Amino acid sequence: MLFDVPVIETERLTLRAARVEDFGAHAEFIASERSRFVGGPQDRQQAWFGFCTSLGHWVARGYGMWTIADKANGTPLGRAGFINHEGWEEPELGWHLYQAAEGKGLAFEAAQAARAYGARHFGLDGVISYIAPANIRSLALAERLGARFEREGELLGKPCQVWRHPVAGEAA
Amino acid sequence: MPFDIPVIETRRLMLRGPEAQDYPDFKATFSSYRSRFMGGPLNTYEAWMLYAAEIGHWQVRGFGMWMIHDKLSGETYGMAGGWQPAGWPEREIAWIIWPGAAGKGYALEAAQAARGHFYSNLGWETAVSYIDPKNLDSIRLAERLGARKDPEAATIDGNDAVYRHPAPDALKDSQIAHGIDMEIAHYADPLFKPEGWALD
Repeated sequence: MLFDVPVIETERLTLRAARVEDFGAHAEFIASERSRFVGGPQDRQQAWFGFCTSLGHWVARGYGMWTIADKANGTPLGRAGFINHEGWEEPELGWHLYQAAEGKGLAFEAAQAARAYGARHFGLDGVISYIAPANIRSLALAERLGARFEREGELLGKPCQVWRHPVAGEAA
Repeated sequence: MPFDIPVIETRRLMLRGPEAQDYPDFKATFSSYRSRFMGGPLNTYEAWMLYAAEIGHWQVRGFGMWMIHDKLSGETYGMAGGWQPAGWPEREIAWIIWPGAAGKGYALEAAQAARGHFYSNLGWETAVSYIDPKNLDSIRLAERLGARKDPEAATIDGNDAVYRHPAPDALKDSQIAHGIDMEIAHYADPLFKPEGWALD
C-alpha cells in the first residue's frame, strides 16, 4: 500500500482501499449509464486511469475514496469518500453504488460512516457534495444525510448543485 | 500488502516516487507543448488526474514512473520508469524531461537505471517503448538505449512506433551497455576520458 488507507466497519459494510480485483466492477460501472452523473460513461482505459487516480489521490491529498465492500463476503458494492481534484473548490463527500447494491440504504450507511471518519480524522468537517441537478437519487440521499442545498455551482464546466453537510455532532 | 516505491540512486540522479510537492513541475510540462507526444497539452484537471494516476499506477501494477531528482539539489528534471495502462500491449519503459532540463542526458541516465531495476529486481525479460514517429528526440534516445524498432510488435493504437529494448542477457556486459555508461560519464564530467577503448 502506498498509503495506509484506513478501514471503516459499519453494520453491513467494510470501507477499505480499492484493490486490483475491484477494477472489473469499477470498469463495468464506469461503462454503464449509471455513471452519467460522475463523469461517465467511459471506456475501459479511461476507467483504468480513473481507478489509478483514485488510489493516487490518497497519496497526494491524504484522504480519498474508499471501496464500499460487503462486510460478509468482500464483494465491491460501490465507492464513497472524499474527492478534491484540481478544479474542486473544497473537498467533497462523494458516493456511488453499483447496480446490484442499490435500494438497500447502503449508500447512506457508507456515506455517513465516511463523513464521520473524515470529520474526526482528516479535519474534513461540514464538507460539501457536488450533485448534478438531474441526479434525483443523490439529491434525496444528501437530504437524508442532513445536508442542505447551499447554492447553484459549476464543476468542470457543468452546472452542479452544492450541498453542505452538517458539522459533526449536528449530523442526522 | 505494504508497498513502498523503491528509490534508485544513479551517478547524478535520485529516482523517487511522485509526491504531492512535485506536482507543479509536472503540471507545468503537461500543460505545455512539450507534452504533445504524451497525450498533452492537458488542462489543469486532466494534468491533475494523470498525476494522481501516475501514483496509483504503482499500486495497481507494482511498478510505475519515478520522479527524476537532482541528487544534490533535489530539483526535479522529469519522469522515467515503467508504464502500462489498460490497453497497452506490453510493459513500456517511458520518459519525459522538463523542457529546461533537456539535453543533459538525464533521460538516458534515468531510463537506463529504471530498465536495470525492472530486469534485475522484477525479472522482466523484455520491454518496449511506444513512441510517436514524429518524436525524434525520443526515438534517438531509444536507439541510444539499444532499442530497435520492432515492426512485428502490437502498437497501442496504430499511431505509435514500437521500439524493443535489448533483453537482459543481450545487454549484460555488452558494448551498448558500456557505451551508455560512457555517454553518462561524459555528461557528468565533460572532461571524462574513457580508458581501454580505441576511439580512432
